[in-house]
Amino acid sequence: MKVPCRYNMLSSPLAQVKEIDVHRGPFKVLEGASVTLEEGEIVAVMGENGAGKTTLIEAFAGILPLRSGEVIWHEGDELTVVRDSEGRRNPPPPMGLTLQKGGICGDETVFERMVVSLSVAGISSDVEQILELLDHWGLRHRSNDRVAHLSGGLRRRLAILCGLAPAALSQSPRVVLLDEPSEGLDESAKVTLRGWVRALSSMNHAILMATHDKELSSCADRVLVIEDKSLSEVPGDSSGEPSKLPGIGQTSDQSPISSLVRWSMRMELRNPIETVGRATPAIVAILLSYALIMDHDLQDIDSRLQAALILAPAFIASISSPALVSRLSESDCGRWWNAVAGPMSRPAFSITGASILLPIPVTYLSWFVLSGSVDDQVSSEVILWLWIPALAMMDLAIAATALHLLVADLSRSSAAPVPLLLVVLVWPFLELTDALSSIIDEGMTWGLSIHEPLVNCIVASLISALVWLAAVMIPDY
Amino acid sequence: MVSSRDDSRLLTNSIHDCVVFRSHVSDYRDSAVTITVLGMACAAITAFLGFFQAPLVDSDSWNAPGAYRILYWHVPFAWSSFLSFCLLFLGSVSWYVKRSERGWSMVVIGSELGLLFGMGVVISGPIWGSAEWGVPWDWGDVRLNTYALLTSVALFLVMSLRSQPDGEETRDTLAAVGLFGFVLVPITAAATTIWTNRHPEVILRESEETGFDPEILQVMGFGAVSFMILFIGLVLLNYSIYTLRGELEVLNREIDREGMD
Repeated sequence: MKVPCRYNMLSSPLAQVKEIDVHRGPFKVLEGASVTLEEGEIVAVMGENGAGKTTLIEAFAGILPLRSGEVIWHEGDELTVVRDSEGRRNPPPPMGLTLQKGGICGDETVFERMVVSLSVAGISSDVEQILELLDHWGLRHRSNDRVAHLSGGLRRRLAILCGLAPAALSQSPRVVLLDEPSEGLDESAKVTLRGWVRALSSMNHAILMATHDKELSSCADRVLVIEDKSLSEVPGDSSGEPSKLPGIGQTSDQSPISSLVRWSMRMELRNPIETVGRATPAIVAILLSYALIMDHDLQDIDSRLQAALILAPAFIASISSPALVSRLSESDCGRWWNAVAGPMSRPAFSITGASILLPIPVTYLSWFVLSGSVDDQVSSEVILWLWIPALAMMDLAIAATALHLLVADLSRSSAAPVPLLLVVLVWPFLELTDALSSIIDEGMTWGLSIHEPLVNCIVASLISALVWLAAVMIPDY
Repeated sequence: MVSSRDDSRLLTNSIHDCVVFRSHVSDYRDSAVTITVLGMACAAITAFLGFFQAPLVDSDSWNAPGAYRILYWHVPFAWSSFLSFCLLFLGSVSWYVKRSERGWSMVVIGSELGLLFGMGVVISGPIWGSAEWGVPWDWGDVRLNTYALLTSVALFLVMSLRSQPDGEETRDTLAAVGLFGFVLVPITAAATTIWTNRHPEVILRESEETGFDPEILQVMGFGAVSFMILFIGLVLLNYSIYTLRGELEVLNREIDREGMD
């Protein structure tokens, strides 16, 4: 069913879904739904549990696959097809988004979260401005606390504020998507929410909010009701007084992807479970290998086995499950990034979440521990060129992370056997083993025939790149 | 609003449709069972012929001439698994391009049969490899490893299909995994001819070098036809199970709705 635009205003559309069919599970949730969001309007989406309110919000954000129809966003005169049923996908223009679960990782501090929400929306703000925003929502005193340390209600306030702030500080009209914003808020926060929503509307921003809250929906200019897969519209009360919002912020050129990379690195620096989680099994593998071969002269061992023992710790570190996957699965954090950064978020995460720092030091450590009585000349040759297979191991690590992220898309990813897919990475590992074995036996050579060490390393990198491409490109087609 | 009377009429109609549908599916399933049983019988005959009737290969060309007999199942297993993987990949493409339910059913059936026949390959292969090469597995052989990988992908899909709630996003991700496997198939084909280490190259070639008797080829051909019949039977059988599952889900939802009312 087609829901017409607001008749009584001559304003421009900011976003629209056209004739979309969306399935959730095996069942159709929305059928032929068309909605246009105009500048300055507040639209409430209501319906019973499971009717499709969240589906509509997430379809607008471009994070749901469509069976038919398209999602189009407008920015000035430019049209962006954010998603369509043909598989096209583009990042939406800057927006405010609050998902039902919040989309915030517990390792972030309140202040950092605000900075991230604003920077992905192309707004740079100073410390005082962010503290003022937090003050409005009673979060200023918590600005340096980790989100994980907040109560459920405060966390919800922060999630709502992160959805509203990009529009509040933006001069140009923005879309704000809010999923169940009043859920979990106390009465004073609900009053603040209603005031902010009205104020944003008066600044020409468009707000689409899914809610069960009658008081909140009374702010809306129109109310969409979802029933039996179809939309119907009733006029809203447009009631409520706008609050006074902080001043406009400055625009920034920072792209969502660079925000994503910074966020990912900051999380790891804050809580380095990625590094520790990968380094620990690698070191255990080195020590185990050492315990196994300590009574043997390494020169008596087949060079291929020797190479495999040297490279195995870095391989284990590379294919371990990245901590990033857990961070992204926390409170739908990955879905939030997927919405604001668009389809490039997956390749970016596969690189930032990979173990790109560990392979070289771990491989050298492994050599120093395990080489023992190896001839000095061989040892110096290996030390000189060991970085080449270790470097190719970084490609393998990126491919492994892409596979982990692919499986993390499943709603019960912990129930999926990821290691079965990681078997593919045995190939590049074997190629690298061949390369190192050749270096041990014959020293580094620069020939380009099929069993030369350099070619083996290139083949390993190419296979890894192929796996990476398949894992990051196919799912977002 | 739909009244409760309308609801009960809808329920009656849908149950009636379902009963009619099930009678069709039942006929269809009967023939699927017949074809499957025929395929299994022929596969058993292949084994009998392979073990007791087919001549030995030239002992100069093979290290363990007697062990080659397992190839009468190993090779048809490999062909059938390739067909299964093709079905899986075509289904994945079909799901991605058309979002068709039939495409998805091909993903489900292709992964289940890929696992079945793939396991046949990776179990029978090492048995023969132990006798012929002296080692059950060669990590340097790209084709062996490709088969292990394709079977792993199929196992991943089968386990995930059972553990994940069915839905658009689940299907997208699993179809992506199916396509991911598809990328590796050309590598397998290349591996067969370029990178092969221990694994014999294309063996259905009658020559002095391979030491194959024409009778061997006849039995191998019979095996191929047998496994093809078995494959077709299993596809039909799985498809009828898949459609019945869908019907069961519709009926369950009707009962759920009745319970809510």
